[in-house]
Amino acid sequence: MKVKIHQWNGVASWLWVANDENCGICRMPFNGCCPDCKVPGDDCPLVWGQCSHCFHMHCILKWLNSQQVQQQCPMCRQEWKFKE
Amino acid sequence: MEADSVPVSGPALRMSVAAAWDKVAAALVSPGCLQEEQGLLDSLVLLGDHGLDQLLGSWLLETLQMCLSSSVVPEFWSGLKQPENELEERDRALVLLAAFRTLLDRLQPSLDGLEQLGIWQEEGRGGLSGLGPRSLKERAVTIIRSLLLFSPDPILQERVLEFYSRTFSVYMSQQGEQEERGNDSPEGRLCQGCEVLTAQCWCQEALEHLQELSHILSKLQLLERVSSESVTSILHKLMEQRMERHCRGEYECSFLVNFQEWLELVLGWLSKVFDSEADADAPTSTPGAAGDQSRGCSSSSSILKQWRCHMQQFFCRIYVNMRIEELFSIITDFPESKAAIEDLKFCLERTNQRQQLITSLKSAFESRLLHPGVHTSDILTVYISAIKALRELDPSMVILQVACQPIRKYLRTREDTVRQIVAGLTGDPEGCTDLASELSRGDPVTLEMQDSDEEGNDPEDWTPDPTDAVPEKLGWKRRSSDIISLLVSIYGSKDIFIDEYRAVLADRLLHQVNYNTAREIRNVELLKLRFGESHMHYCEVMLKDMADSRRINGNIREEEAKLGEQEQPLQFLSAIILSSEFWPPLKEEKLELPPPVSQAMETYTNRYQKLKAMRTLSWKPHLGSVTLDVELEDRVLTNLTVSPIHAAIILHFQEKSSWTLEELSVKLGAPKELVHRKIAMWQQQLGVLREEAGGRYCVVERGSAKEKPERGVMLIDSDEERDSNTTTQSEQREEKLQLFWAYIQAMLTNLDSMTLDRIHSMLRMFVATGPVVTEMDVNELEAFLQRKVREHQLMVSAGVYRLPKSS
Repeated sequence: MKVKIHQWNGVASWLWVANDENCGICRMPFNGCCPDCKVPGDDCPLVWGQCSHCFHMHCILKWLNSQQVQQQCPMCRQEWKFKE
Repeated sequence: MEADSVPVSGPALRMSVAAAWDKVAAALVSPGCLQEEQGLLDSLVLLGDHGLDQLLGSWLLETLQMCLSSSVVPEFWSGLKQPENELEERDRALVLLAAFRTLLDRLQPSLDGLEQLGIWQEEGRGGLSGLGPRSLKERAVTIIRSLLLFSPDPILQERVLEFYSRTFSVYMSQQGEQEERGNDSPEGRLCQGCEVLTAQCWCQEALEHLQELSHILSKLQLLERVSSESVTSILHKLMEQRMERHCRGEYECSFLVNFQEWLELVLGWLSKVFDSEADADAPTSTPGAAGDQSRGCSSSSSILKQWRCHMQQFFCRIYVNMRIEELFSIITDFPESKAAIEDLKFCLERTNQRQQLITSLKSAFESRLLHPGVHTSDILTVYISAIKALRELDPSMVILQVACQPIRKYLRTREDTVRQIVAGLTGDPEGCTDLASELSRGDPVTLEMQDSDEEGNDPEDWTPDPTDAVPEKLGWKRRSSDIISLLVSIYGSKDIFIDEYRAVLADRLLHQVNYNTAREIRNVELLKLRFGESHMHYCEVMLKDMADSRRINGNIREEEAKLGEQEQPLQFLSAIILSSEFWPPLKEEKLELPPPVSQAMETYTNRYQKLKAMRTLSWKPHLGSVTLDVELEDRVLTNLTVSPIHAAIILHFQEKSSWTLEELSVKLGAPKELVHRKIAMWQQQLGVLREEAGGRYCVVERGSAKEKPERGVMLIDSDEERDSNTTTQSEQREEKLQLFWAYIQAMLTNLDSMTLDRIHSMLRMFVATGPVVTEMDVNELEAFLQRKVREHQLMVSAGVYRLPKSS
């Protein structure tokens, strides 16, 4: 007997490779989106800091904009630098 | 005997008083023999002098009474009964008429005498005074009526009824109202009216008799007493018959106009029945009788007016009665039965039967619809028809609201109600077909109804609610007539519907082979108009996922094409990539796919990771669909579309032609029962595998010809009772309750003890902000807490819940 597969329609869900499930700022799941967004994924990406904490990009930008003096990671209080 | 009671002043006068009395009495009783005027006047004066003139009236009435009770009445009744049953109808009519004729003849002298006396009294002839002709006649008539009809024999009613029925049909046939039943007589020579051979037709005679009878009766003022009952029963009977014949089961044409025409005919006949002589003689009557006449005239026309009202009222009542009985069928027929509904509306406004209608409709629903034997989609179809029909019938929607309460209540208990409604909304052929078109009308659902103030209704058009409206729903809230709003509000919340729609949508999308979502996009757009954008947000993300998946697939395929021919393990693999947070919870099943496939998936994942930085894929191996060919020694099965687990099973048989259930189960990482169920398709439907002794399954390389299936057959899980990829509602519900449990525990830890209501309101406050808003009522929560109490995870005393101390 020989089986020939023409087409295999699989189902998968995408997820961020992150060390946490929820964004530390908005408490929403990373695989969802920040409260201001409607569509997850490309439209509401994650960003990592050099301290290895990650957040929704929109959340951390909002946070950084609100900081007057020094830009710190809201989790570990180290200086926030985007990880390249 | 009258003389005894008269105070007599002297013997000399007695003679002349007696003579005078005789003279006057003779003049009154037998007007035929002429008295000379002066003598009569003298006698009257003489009587008047002795105060006897007052007695004349009483004496006449007394005489009438004597004569009636001694001879006239018995004669009348025996005349009526005389010839026992042997007579024909025609002769019976004659007997009836004859009896009344004799009656009139016998009473006529007395009546004439009374009238004469009355006239004298009025003229004041010879100083005579008294009641006048009218009241004398009234008294006489009262006496006649009471004596004659003191103990009426049923035969009178019987005969009158028969005679009236006959004249009615004669009249109707002359007016051209053809009754169908006459037409099918074998000879065809029967007269329509009197139903005897045309040669012996007595139609004309009957009508003449009718007129005479009416005149006699009206003269004796017996018309109302004798005829009303018969006429009423005839008309009621005929109307009922007519309605049975014309209206029952006939909903598609209006009956009101037809009835009005018929009623005019009937009134024509009635005018004959209640035709008093006064009307007929009007032009030639003597001026003396003028007073009497005008009274007769007006009473005759007012009688007709009364009858008209009566008939209309009666028609409405029996029409409503009949339609109430049939209302269920009318509703199921609805768009066709519109005429019946309109008639019913007209009649219902004139009778006080709304309550009856509601009660009867409710019980019809309960007995015919709301039992386990009826499919949910059928209940919904009837409910939709009922909405449409009843909003025609009662624009205030009260009937709809009250009568359909049982349906709504019952639908709430059916598990698949929401799914059926959603199926209907999305145009699934299995659902109710009306809903899809209703949806495309696209009015927003007014569940909150906050817009009622701004509707711009003219205050002048406001009408109060009918008295049977449910009181607590009164007030500014307007009852909705929109079908979708009503259906959605069965559960009181949009969210359940939207959740269900999401589940249905997920199923549809996952069964898609070619990312074709045009129809779903249209549906979501329509639902957005109804439910508002925010509610449909999740569905939009789902649709976007489909579009994105197609693009990503395209990208990965392109990448692949750049590689050499040999390195294309992904050729056959495509994927639907979900944003898991936005899809309904999918069934979790374990399945190990055969190495070629899992390797392909790995490669696919790698490509994806390259495409989207920091993101990866988590495959759901049991979901999706596979198209494959199976080549056997003597036959080839091509283009089979199967589920992944089916494919995995058969792929394993490719490397080894014989497996036991246990081996397969281990290899697939799936439970034995599942594998056993799935293997059945290859075994029974396709005949590719067979079971051998020792529970081993082997490939059937050479199959018998009879089992050859058709080519290119689609096999989507026909063995599965319900091929839904999403978890069922009750499972989801259970998950949500578990979520609540965490909250409840935390609350009780902090606050020690709480009442049910407190817990409920706290939960609403905290949990309702989650992504999936659940409407949970107190009862459901109570049931849940009770369960926890039974499981000893919670304690309750005096309505206060607390956690057990040990925990």
